[in-house]
Amino acid sequence: MVRLSDLPHDEQAHLTGKALPPLRPPVWTTPIEPLKNMRLALITTAGLHLRGDPLFEFADGTYRPIPNNTAPGDIIMSHSSVNFDRTGFSEDINLVFPVDRFRELLDQGMVGSLADFHYSFMGAGLEPQAFEKGAAQVAGLLKQDQVDAVFLTPV
Amino acid sequence: MSALGYYLERAGIATTGISLVREHTAQLQPPRSLWVSFPLGRPLGIPNDAEFQHAVIKAALELFEEASGPVLRDYPIDAPEVAIESAPACPVNFQRQSGSWQDRLASELALISPWYEIGLDKRAGRTLVGASTSHIHEILQRFGEDLDAHRIPADLKWFKASIEDAKTYYLEALSAEPGQYNARQLYRKLWHETELGRALGLFHAMFMDHPQRAGFARILLPRDALRRIDDTLS
Repeated sequence: MVRLSDLPHDEQAHLTGKALPPLRPPVWTTPIEPLKNMRLALITTAGLHLRGDPLFEFADGTYRPIPNNTAPGDIIMSHSSVNFDRTGFSEDINLVFPVDRFRELLDQGMVGSLADFHYSFMGAGLEPQAFEKGAAQVAGLLKQDQVDAVFLTPV
Repeated sequence: MSALGYYLERAGIATTGISLVREHTAQLQPPRSLWVSFPLGRPLGIPNDAEFQHAVIKAALELFEEASGPVLRDYPIDAPEVAIESAPACPVNFQRQSGSWQDRLASELALISPWYEIGLDKRAGRTLVGASTSHIHEILQRFGEDLDAHRIPADLKWFKASIEDAKTYYLEALSAEPGQYNARQLYRKLWHETELGRALGLFHAMFMDHPQRAGFARILLPRDALRRIDDTLS
């Protein structure tokens, strides 16, 4: 079990040091399809990308596409932060990027389909607004891919 | 993570997802989030436990049934840390090496590389090593050359990718045997028992002393290791 209150004081101070005003105005998109008909994409801020893709820089608001059929061994991580555990992800890609779990949901008929492309950002060292441009671009790509909804994972 | 959820939803794409730092999510108020008490780096909780991961995913997907938001729901189940006593013993008995940094790192690599290969077999050939364009032998050789000359690496882009690969190589070797590992134990061994940990601690000190490069130091060592840095430097 790890809660913020369980962490050392300097760790807590780092994670809560900045005041983050609410993103405004509030937004809400109601899914049109029920889950069993939805086309879903995965998006992570874990700094994942294909082996051979440009690495993420120290602070970087860009993103990398990950084709749905990518083999787990072809995905690596170049996240700048050293303050999270990577050993679990080494053991199991699904701990951070649960693509096998969503393939199982697809096989069980729980979701409609998976996107042709998933996406990865690197969530470190930037204000929330730094992701506005990249997110807008990815939203356009997702619509082109007929995606209804996104499942988001941090790291 | 919260920002992406917000901006995608604003563009008309419905989102749900995991929150690891509840305080951030509560402040930013993205549309739908499931807060989990798992450690940073483990948003789905437990590696190689499909049932556990499916339960987390299901709880997050259920947020699509909410009529309005923002919704921040707390996941009620913790992911218990693996007890150190039940984790596989470390296969490598690290001992302080002597000689130059080049010699010390080369000796240690000879000790650890068979275990990296065994770990590669365990993971069916999957490895996270590969951020750097250089092989681990070249990486440690260049680290040793810089440390012996007491100089900061010239190519910081190469250095950033190479320290990532070196740490990953060691951690994958240290967890080469089947079984569930205690992550904190693995990192403690890396930072406090290996020549690589000492080398990175020394690089950290050198960067901290450099007026224009001090910012780079923070991607060398985690805050957790810095708390005990004095013990790690030779």
